[in-house]
Amino acid sequence: MGTLMWVEVLSHHGDVATRIPIASDEARIGRAFDNDVVVDDPHIAPHHLRIYRGDDGELVAEDVGTLNGLYAEHGGQRVKTLPLAKDPGLRIGRTTLRVRDARRPVAPEKLLTPPRAHARWAGLLGAVLMLILLVLQWLNLTTQPNANAVLLPLLGFVTVLALWTAAWSVLSRIFLGQAQFALMLRIAVTACIALVIWDQVAEYTSFSLAWRDAAEYSGLGAWALLGAACYGHLHAIGPRHMRAAMGLVIALVVAGAAMQYFGRSETRRVIGQRASLGDLKPPEFRILPLASADDFFLKADAAKARVDKARTKEPASGLFGDFDSFD
Amino acid sequence: MHRLTLSLATLILAGVAAAQPQPPANTESAQAPPMSSAAERVYEAARPRILQIRTLLQAAGRQSTIGSGFLVAADGLAITNYHVVSQFALDSRTYKLEYLAPDGARGALQLLAIDVAHDLAVVKLDRAGLPYFEFDSRAIAGRLPKGERIYAMGNPLDLGFTIVEGTYNGLVDKSYDERIHFSGAINPGMSGGPVAGSDGRVVGINVAKSLGGESVGFLVPARFASELVERARKGPALTLDKARDEVGRQLGEWQAGFYEALRSQGFKTTLLGPYRGLESSAPWMSCWASTNADALPKARVSVNTTRCSSATGIFVSDRILTGRLDFSYSYFKALDLNSFQFAKEVSSRARGGGGDSDKRLTEQECRDDFVSTAPGRPPLRATWCMRAYREFEGLYNVTLLALTQDRDREAMLAQLTMQGVSHANAVTVGRKFLEAIEWAR
Repeated sequence: MGTLMWVEVLSHHGDVATRIPIASDEARIGRAFDNDVVVDDPHIAPHHLRIYRGDDGELVAEDVGTLNGLYAEHGGQRVKTLPLAKDPGLRIGRTTLRVRDARRPVAPEKLLTPPRAHARWAGLLGAVLMLILLVLQWLNLTTQPNANAVLLPLLGFVTVLALWTAAWSVLSRIFLGQAQFALMLRIAVTACIALVIWDQVAEYTSFSLAWRDAAEYSGLGAWALLGAACYGHLHAIGPRHMRAAMGLVIALVVAGAAMQYFGRSETRRVIGQRASLGDLKPPEFRILPLASADDFFLKADAAKARVDKARTKEPASGLFGDFDSFD
Repeated sequence: MHRLTLSLATLILAGVAAAQPQPPANTESAQAPPMSSAAERVYEAARPRILQIRTLLQAAGRQSTIGSGFLVAADGLAITNYHVVSQFALDSRTYKLEYLAPDGARGALQLLAIDVAHDLAVVKLDRAGLPYFEFDSRAIAGRLPKGERIYAMGNPLDLGFTIVEGTYNGLVDKSYDERIHFSGAINPGMSGGPVAGSDGRVVGINVAKSLGGESVGFLVPARFASELVERARKGPALTLDKARDEVGRQLGEWQAGFYEALRSQGFKTTLLGPYRGLESSAPWMSCWASTNADALPKARVSVNTTRCSSATGIFVSDRILTGRLDFSYSYFKALDLNSFQFAKEVSSRARGGGGDSDKRLTEQECRDDFVSTAPGRPPLRATWCMRAYREFEGLYNVTLLALTQDRDREAMLAQLTMQGVSHANAVTVGRKFLEAIEWAR
C-alpha cells in the first residue's frame, strides 16, 4: 500500500518545514513519541489529533480531548472536528499543519518564464517609456531648446526609477532569496508607462470636455496605479500573504488619495486659486460641442449660486496659516 | 502694466501708528523753506479749525490710525476721509474715535455720515461754538483756475499741524471719480485735512498721493464734502450697527453708476493682429500696450498685449480695495512652435487674478466651456470665475477669460476683470466682450 496522505508541518514563515508520508487512512498527531507525526510544541497535547477518513471518503481532523484545542488554519473558532476536503490547513498549539490527501490532484505545471525574458521586456518597455517621455518633453518645450532642460529631468527620473527597483529587489532578496531585478524593473517600468498615459488622458480629457476636475483629481487615479505597482512587486516577491499585501496597498492608496484631495482643498484655501484656462491643447482636441453664449452664462449663474452659498459660511483658516496677498 | 501701476498707484494717506517713521534726528540742517506771507495768514486763520482725527483701539486706549479733519459748522460738524474712520465705521465695538485740536483739547467724535465712493465722512465734536471753514464757491462751481496757489493742511506722520503750499491743477483727466490734482507734498496723516485757497476757503480735501511721481497729490473736490454735510444735517444719522450695510449699499450704488456710465460712454472695436475685440470708449479708461518682441532669449511665441484699466479704486477697509475694471487682449502667434507647444505656452500665459486667500471673499468658483457666440465667429474656450464679498451681499469679483480656438498656432486671449460688481452688470459686460471677439481678416 502506497502513501495515502501527507502531513506537512509548517515553519513560522509559512513554508513547509517537514513533510511526513502516512501509509494508512488514519494518522495520530501529538507530542508523544507513539504518534505517527510528532510535533515539538509545548502547547500541543501528547495525543492531540486523529486524522481519519469520513463517510464521504474525505479527510477529517478530530481533537481527541485537549487543553488548547483545534482550529482551522485561518479560523478563530475552536472546533471538535475539522473537515479537510476544502482547506487542508489546521492549527494546534502554536503549530500550523496541512494534511494533504494523496488522491487529490495537484495544480498543473506552470510555464516557466524563459530565462532573460524579464530583462528583455524591461529593456523594451524602458525604451518605450524613454521615448514617450522625450516626446512629451518636446511637446511641452516652449523655450529655446536646451539640452540641460531635457536631460536633467530625464536623468532624475531614471535615478528614481532605479532606486525604486533596487529597493524592491532588496526586499525580494530578503524574503525570497532572489533579487529578481529584471522582473522588478519590468513591473516598475510598466507602471510608469501606465502613469504617464493616465496623466495624458486626464489632461486631454480635461481640455476636450472642458472638465477641469479631470485634471485636478487625476492624482487619485495615479495613486491607484501606484498601488497596483506595489501589488505587482509584492506578488513577485511571493504569493503568500497576498491578502495582507492587498490590504496594505489599499490602505496606501486610500491614504495617498486622501492626502491628494485634502491637500488640494487646503492649497485652495491657503493660496487661493487663480483664474486660468487650465492645460490647453490644440483646438482639434475639443470633443465637447460648442455651447451658446446663453448656455455659458447659465453656468456663470451656477457659479454665482455657489459663491452665494459659500458666503454665508464662516471661512476656515488654513492648516499652516494663510498667505495673504495684503500682508 | 508696470508703468501704469507706477504712474497711477496712489497711497491712501491715513497714517498707521505702527508704520510711523521717527522724526528725523538731525533737524538743525533741515531748515524750513521760506513760506509766503499768504501761507502764514492762511495757517493762522485755519489753526483753530483743523483737527487730528484718531481711531483708538478701545482695549488699548491708544491710536491705531491717525488722520486729519476740519470743522465746517458752528455746531461742531467736521469733515474727514472715510478711510480715516473706516475701522470705527466697520467695527465700532473694537475702535473708538477721538479728535485732538491744535490747542491740545481732545474729545469723542460721533460718526454722522459716510460717502465711501468719494472717501468722505462727517463727524460731530462733543463741543460747539468753534470757528469753522467755509467752502470756496468757485471750487464748488468748478471755476477755480489752474495754477492757483492752494494750501494743504493736516498732521503728516503725526509730526504736528502743518501747512503745505501747492498748486491747483484742475481735475485729473483720466479718472472716473472726480479728483483734484494737487501739486504739492501731502503725506500720510494729512488725510481728511482741508486744502484752502489764499482766502482760507476750502477747495478740496487731502485724500491720496501718487506713489510713482513726486509731489503729486489728490484731493476730493469740496463739492462732495458740502453735499455730504447737507445729507448729514437732513438725513437720519448713521446707525453704527448698520454701518456695514450702509457701506455695502453705497458700493452697490457706486457700481451701478459706474457700469451705467460705462454703458453710456459706449464701446468700440479694437484690432489686435487679425482679431477684433471690444474696448470701452470711456475717456477714463487708461490703456497701455506691451510686447515681448525684444525678449532675450528670443521668444518662440510673439505676444502683443493691450491692457486697459479704469484705475478706479474704492477704499472700503485696509483689506478691501475694490471698484476696478480691467480688460486686456493678447494676441499670440507661434514663431517656431508646433500646435501642442503653442497651446502649452498660451496656457501658462492665460492666467487671471483671484489667486489669494483673502477671507473677506469666498474661494473662487470657475466654470469652463467651449462657446460659439455666433456663426462665423471663432469658437472660444472661456472661463468665468467669481468670488463673493462675504460682508457685502450682491457684490462680486469676476474674471472672464476667453481664448479663440479657430487657429492652432495663433490666438487672441481676452481677459476681463471686474471688482465689486453685481452679477447682472458682470454678465452684461462679460457677454458684450465675449460676443465682440471676431476674426477680422
